[in-house]
Amino acid sequence: VYRVFENVAEKYDVMNDSMSLGIHRVWKDILMHKMNPTPGTLLVDVAGGTGDIAFRFINYVRSVRERQLQQKLRHHQNLSWQEISKSYEEEKSNPLGDSQVVVCDINKEMLKAGKQRAQHLGYSEGLSWVLGNAEELPFDDNKFDVYTIAFGIRNVTRIDLALQEAYRVLKPGGRFLCLEFSHVSNPLLSRLYDLYSFQVIPVLGEVIAGDWKSYQYLVESIRRFPPQEELKAMIEDAGFLKVDYQNLNSGIVAIHSGFKL
Amino acid sequence: LKCQLYTPQQCLHASAALRRASEEQRKEPPTPSSQQQFDTQQADPHPEQEAWGPQPSYTGQDGQESEDYESEEQLQHRILTAALEFVPEHGWTAEAIAEGAKTLGLSAAAAGMFHSDGSELILHFVSQCNTKLSDLLEQEQKQVQLGEAEKKPTDQFLRDAVEARLRMVIPYIEKWPQAVSVLLLPHNIPSSLNLLTSMIDDIWHYAGDQSTDFNWYTRRAVLTGIYNTTELVMMQDTSPDFEDTWRFLENRVADAMNMSSAAQQVQSTGKALAQGLMGAAVTVSNAEASRAAR
Repeated sequence: VYRVFENVAEKYDVMNDSMSLGIHRVWKDILMHKMNPTPGTLLVDVAGGTGDIAFRFINYVRSVRERQLQQKLRHHQNLSWQEISKSYEEEKSNPLGDSQVVVCDINKEMLKAGKQRAQHLGYSEGLSWVLGNAEELPFDDNKFDVYTIAFGIRNVTRIDLALQEAYRVLKPGGRFLCLEFSHVSNPLLSRLYDLYSFQVIPVLGEVIAGDWKSYQYLVESIRRFPPQEELKAMIEDAGFLKVDYQNLNSGIVAIHSGFKL
Repeated sequence: LKCQLYTPQQCLHASAALRRASEEQRKEPPTPSSQQQFDTQQADPHPEQEAWGPQPSYTGQDGQESEDYESEEQLQHRILTAALEFVPEHGWTAEAIAEGAKTLGLSAAAAGMFHSDGSELILHFVSQCNTKLSDLLEQEQKQVQLGEAEKKPTDQFLRDAVEARLRMVIPYIEKWPQAVSVLLLPHNIPSSLNLLTSMIDDIWHYAGDQSTDFNWYTRRAVLTGIYNTTELVMMQDTSPDFEDTWRFLENRVADAMNMSSAAQQVQSTGKALAQGLMGAAVTVSNAEASRAAR
């Protein structure tokens, strides 16, 4: 698995776009809306290599924070100039409201690509990049508000260990969110999807990234991954409560959510 | 082991209580023991797991399943109750729920358990108020039975009941219009209508059989009309201690009483309701206009 992603790191984003026809952005946006984070949230994005989720998180929290400050201003009708300038200062000095995201990935190349992307896009605050294994996270217990793993959990050898680690590092009340390819229930769509996966994707892999085998592996790993209900049961086994899933595009992708209560 | 103290009775209790939306709060008395249980569970997850054996969800012991289920519901209620104190500041939103979760020592992410438009918070509040009203009316009835108090005439009784219920909204009156509009969303209408009608039924139940000529549906409809219009008037009222609202209420109840003696009572009910709706529409549009002007 390590070598797959070593090869894939640089072209990862381009491949994502071409494989899912750009829809993966929508999936990740939906994930962020489902999370609906408030400023002050600590997020750990595991297997988050190139930072897609992390950047979306920062954008979301920033806009929520702006809206909060605006509402505060609106409520106080008769503000003195001092108070108005103080609130602008607040906005500048603390635009994220103490929210932070830690991007954790097992692969150095992916992290490097992510850091470069962050610099390129202008993200500096509230981001950390940590090298770590999802089955054995280098974090203390009860640390994070939200744990996300987007398109990463199928690459984990022992999913149950990863889920247990997720449970461990989350605070009480914390949320586990998993975005992953899953089982398509609709038979017609399933046939089309299979056709696309096995015929088109490895070809794209060869053409764009020069790597047929990695993308063949990718498609096969999607087929081997447990379907929605089974994953839900595994999440419950790890101790999460109120576990539920939401199918996107009738099952091509599913978001599983659980709470540590 | 502690978990085995949960008798089948309490499991039934849990499932029965879940079915009755408006009476959820009556589960509160058994809470202390179950909460303690839940807290100790949180504190020592590992010994508990060993005691239950591997993979408890597969063995699916009924006792444990409904215990967790009950704790989830209880926890959700606790979070929503804690969130109420943040409503004046944040409105009926997921943010208020997040703040409420934080006061209980949970992460703000726990607010994700609820709908992002704050519906559950409002429904929880309404059902809490309805329960408080029922308890209040029950107590008054007991006092009358014990001879400690006089039995009120119907119009007085209705006035006092509606006033008592509406007064519970006063601490949240600024954000209440928002709550009303959320309750009218299509996915909330079944629950909110259910809560409203059961409250109205409750009031009539405690009002007892008086000498009115109303049939059951008319009674319900009339009181619902009175309650809704008074609520709308209250949202716009700026008089000290809402005097204007209570006077409005008095007049509406008097009208209703007078109507019962008229021969064309069904027609009048229709007319009154239509007038009530017109009044409501005017009030809402005034509220919108004044809010826009602000």
